[in-house]
Amino acid sequence: MYKVILIDDEPLARQLVLSLLNNYPQFAVLGQCGDGFEGFKMIQEQKPDLIFLDVQMPRLNGFEMLELIDNPPSVIFTTAFDEYALKAFEANAVDYLLKPIVKDRFDKAINRWLSSSVKESESKISAMIESAPVEGYQHRIVVKDKGMIRIIPGSDIHYVEASDDYIKIFTAGGSYLKKATLSHLEQTLDPQQFVRVHRSFLIPVSQLSRIEPYEKESHIALLHCGAKVLVSKAGMSKLKGLLGW
Amino acid sequence: MRTIKKNIYWVSVVVLAIVLAIHVYILYVVLGMGWKLAVTDAVVNSAILGLGIWGLYLIINAYPTTAAMYLYSLAAALVVSGLSVYLVCAVLDWWPGTTGNDYLLWLKKYMALRFLYILIFNCWVSTNTALRKILNVSESRFQQHADASALLKEAELFKLRQQLQPHFLYNSLNSINALINIEPERAQDMVGKLSDFLRSSVKRESENLLKIADELEYLQSYLDIESIRFGDRLRIVFENDYDEKAMIPPFLIQPILENAIKFGLYGTTGSVLIEISLKSSGQILTIAIKNPYDKDMRSSTGTGFGLNGIRRRLWLIYGRNDLLEVNKDEQFFTTTLKIPQNV
Repeated sequence: MYKVILIDDEPLARQLVLSLLNNYPQFAVLGQCGDGFEGFKMIQEQKPDLIFLDVQMPRLNGFEMLELIDNPPSVIFTTAFDEYALKAFEANAVDYLLKPIVKDRFDKAINRWLSSSVKESESKISAMIESAPVEGYQHRIVVKDKGMIRIIPGSDIHYVEASDDYIKIFTAGGSYLKKATLSHLEQTLDPQQFVRVHRSFLIPVSQLSRIEPYEKESHIALLHCGAKVLVSKAGMSKLKGLLGW
Repeated sequence: MRTIKKNIYWVSVVVLAIVLAIHVYILYVVLGMGWKLAVTDAVVNSAILGLGIWGLYLIINAYPTTAAMYLYSLAAALVVSGLSVYLVCAVLDWWPGTTGNDYLLWLKKYMALRFLYILIFNCWVSTNTALRKILNVSESRFQQHADASALLKEAELFKLRQQLQPHFLYNSLNSINALINIEPERAQDMVGKLSDFLRSSVKRESENLLKIADELEYLQSYLDIESIRFGDRLRIVFENDYDEKAMIPPFLIQPILENAIKFGLYGTTGSVLIEISLKSSGQILTIAIKNPYDKDMRSSTGTGFGLNGIRRRLWLIYGRNDLLEVNKDEQFFTTTLKIPQNV
């Protein structure tokens, strides 16, 4: 038996997948939910083998939810029309179903999943999330904090530091770790507001208090929160370009 | 255009005839020349002047651009005048009827004066022709520009109207697909509502202004579908205080309502109340759409949605940037649309 969870904000859309799955006795639907928060919780608790996931959802969208899950199950995305998502799916060979979902296409996707020897799609999905071009820039970062989901508005960020596979986000309320790369974060945030000033540091321009020379080619940025952050030569020229010095 | 050309033709004939008469008068009466001589001189001179003017007209109109047009036309006038004077003198010199040394001497002596007289005429004609040509070119250029921008505006409006449809359509079809098995009757109901909605969408493609009652009917068919999709989670309340005669461009309210629904539903998992108020005051119809939102959630990609498209459309229709307003407080997001009446 394969364990399945359906995540979609429209009850009828879940109903449709459920009825199409009825033809496959080897799948057991353990739960359904209508937003990314619930989905996150349900996946942690039930550890499903496969999830059907809508992209556009309340509170936490499908991609944001997946970012937070350490060992994500296999995913078949369901979406009506989202150029950006489709590009990402196709580029990474992640399976997806276009709404309206029709039986033929559904059966194909299920059979493909059943015949694929490796049920584990973590690498594919994280690659997809990394490369997904987003529609517009993100205005927030979603992190896990002691098993809870926390949403950090862009305006609350003091600075972000990279350490190995993780990024550490510093805010007035403390710091949060997230498994992600600084270059991915840099791409998703508005470059008019956030600048990668160093290989390991990303700062909101609004946090900049002043800049002092450091070693021969580098500088140090003093932030309003009191922190000091290294600025590389390349980072300095980016800042100059942005602030028009 | 045709009649103007014809007029110019007759005017030149009349002017040439007057010139001919004056020429004869000066030679015969003022200078006391012989009657025959005076007429011959005047006829030859006027004929060649006329030919020269006709030539100038052709030469200037054949000039491919309008760059340095005046310089070109003055140079042409100079050359044509020189040629005309040479021709006039040669013909009169050769003409058997013009005998007598006095006349031939007089002809040579006043050649410069004759040149000046022909030159003034030719300059007048050539600059006039050049001016006319420049005016024509710039007028057609202006017309082209106006046509192009009208087309562009039309295309842009069409695109902006289309923007928000496909998502809604695919999701509705998906809901129908689900209902076919579990509740066939509701599926049929929804097919009917969706067709109503699409039919009036197609109908209003060609309309620029609609009665507010028609627009509300259209919105209702849209809301009926949305409430099947989202079930009990969606509640809509209308507050109507509008003038029956109020008009509104199509496809303005629906995208805002779509945003409000998305924004409201995506910000929370509970049920959502969306309030729509329509008020007429003076020459303005004000439409406010209010939806709850969770301040802490933020939208993952900002609050823009399709509002920029609507702002752009209002600008294209009314040439104003102050007709769409967005207000946020702790709990509610309000979009206010102002539609000027009688414009």
